[in-house]
Amino acid sequence: MALQELPSAMRQLANRHARSTAVAIGQFPRRYASGQAAAVQEVSEDLQDLEPQSSLSTRFSPKKAAGFDPVKRAEGRKIELPSSRYQYRSPRYYRGPLHPHQPPPTSDPASRQFVPGPFSHTRLEQTFQSTIASDLMTLGYAHRPPGTVDIPKSDRLRTWDDSSPYHKNRPKRGPRGPEGVLRLIERDISWRNIPKIQGVTVHSMVKGAMDDSAYLHIAGMALQAVTGVKPKVFKATQGVASFGIRQGMPISLTCTLRNNQAYEFVDKCINLVLPKLKDWEGVEGTTGDSSGNISFGFNRDGALLFPEIEVNYDMYPPKMIPGFHVTIHTSATSDRHARLLLSAMGLPFHGKLVD
Amino acid sequence: MAVKMPSHTSITRLLSPLVNSFRTVSLNPSASLAKPSTIRSFSTSSTHLAPPNKNAKQADPRISLIRYHMQHPKTPRPLKLSRMRALRHWTIHRAWMLARRKRKEAEENELQRMYQSMHSACEELRLMDPPGSKDAGRLYRIAMEKKGIFGHGGVPIEYARAQTDTPAKEPWNHEWTR
Repeated sequence: MALQELPSAMRQLANRHARSTAVAIGQFPRRYASGQAAAVQEVSEDLQDLEPQSSLSTRFSPKKAAGFDPVKRAEGRKIELPSSRYQYRSPRYYRGPLHPHQPPPTSDPASRQFVPGPFSHTRLEQTFQSTIASDLMTLGYAHRPPGTVDIPKSDRLRTWDDSSPYHKNRPKRGPRGPEGVLRLIERDISWRNIPKIQGVTVHSMVKGAMDDSAYLHIAGMALQAVTGVKPKVFKATQGVASFGIRQGMPISLTCTLRNNQAYEFVDKCINLVLPKLKDWEGVEGTTGDSSGNISFGFNRDGALLFPEIEVNYDMYPPKMIPGFHVTIHTSATSDRHARLLLSAMGLPFHGKLVD
Repeated sequence: MAVKMPSHTSITRLLSPLVNSFRTVSLNPSASLAKPSTIRSFSTSSTHLAPPNKNAKQADPRISLIRYHMQHPKTPRPLKLSRMRALRHWTIHRAWMLARRKRKEAEENELQRMYQSMHSACEELRLMDPPGSKDAGRLYRIAMEKKGIFGHGGVPIEYARAQTDTPAKEPWNHEWTR
């Protein structure tokens, strides 16, 4: 534009005139919601010294934007573009959230953690979606007539009454009672809140690892065979002389299973391993942490019944295969909901049921 | 959620010297036998004359084999896809994500429909008889009962059978009793 060559002061007068004429004609280079209102406003005296236009020129033209057609350009090419010499390599180590090089998401094949995604649902999850979910919803349906008024409940975390000036901004008090523990509230089962398996944790404490690390390796191999997940090693946080453990020694292994792996593990337990256990009546009714997570365990003989260990049982040194605990984490908010879900999947419970 | 790279565990630290010795034994059997005798020994007689220590425990080779296989590096080599291959992956990934979302939404809509039909049925039941008549709301009260669903046998275990692609050899055992 020719106006850019004029000195600043002249430009101001010219632009002010140009802008007002442009508004009058109705041609404004860029339209925005407050544009008309701003144009009508008189420029106040304080803002007279400001330059009306930005010093960074943007040569935006609508004609060029209309002619932009990348598909046509790509198809019109006779020769393929040469391959670029730059090959993206994801960072080897994670250096924190503020580092300029962030690792790509795990779903990206360039990621080092990429695992080709789930290709199908497991049969237990299919059964859950088709039959168990609607059955649980119907079993737990609680009717709420329209116009029901909720009884105002007292606060769980009690605020201070402003009897003293020091109560202002003071943190809230905990619940009443000797323990003063905030418990999980049991939510009603509805179409939006149906108890579901979220994950499984397999844990094994290997006492023999205090003297010989071979026990830990073999336990790790056994857990990896059974779950399909490489276990994480945990050290003893405190030494307990009665158990014979010293602080800082690697002592236990934990595997965390999610999604399809978790469903397959639970399916395997319920349908293959638990029926073979001798004189097994069911999971203890007292199991559960009042928050919807159910636990049971296998001793050495139980672990040997898993097909992955049974098939090459002689590749393990004798008597070194451990037992382990299994914790099934569900989205249920109480023990009884979790038990309902798992008994619908075929897990029997016996003994007194405690929530 | 930030991606966390796996860190070295205590197993790896314990394993490295053992595995190195195992690797050298397996890959270069000759090298380990031909020891360069650069260190001068005090005795002139050969060490083979000394009797073998019977107390030394023979390590189970299965233990070292398991250790070697547990030592496997935790992450595989990252993929490098060409331009078109990457585009195909991106397209398929987006299509699969979309299909999953549609399936999930269809399931949720189905559950919502069932819930709403239960709600309207219960409302009908509640308002069936005029208030004050004999047995008003009796069926509604019975429908709202939840006897024994959370106890033993709330869901009979006979019904808890997972779906299969093909029927079992014995589809239903008629002789089964509790």
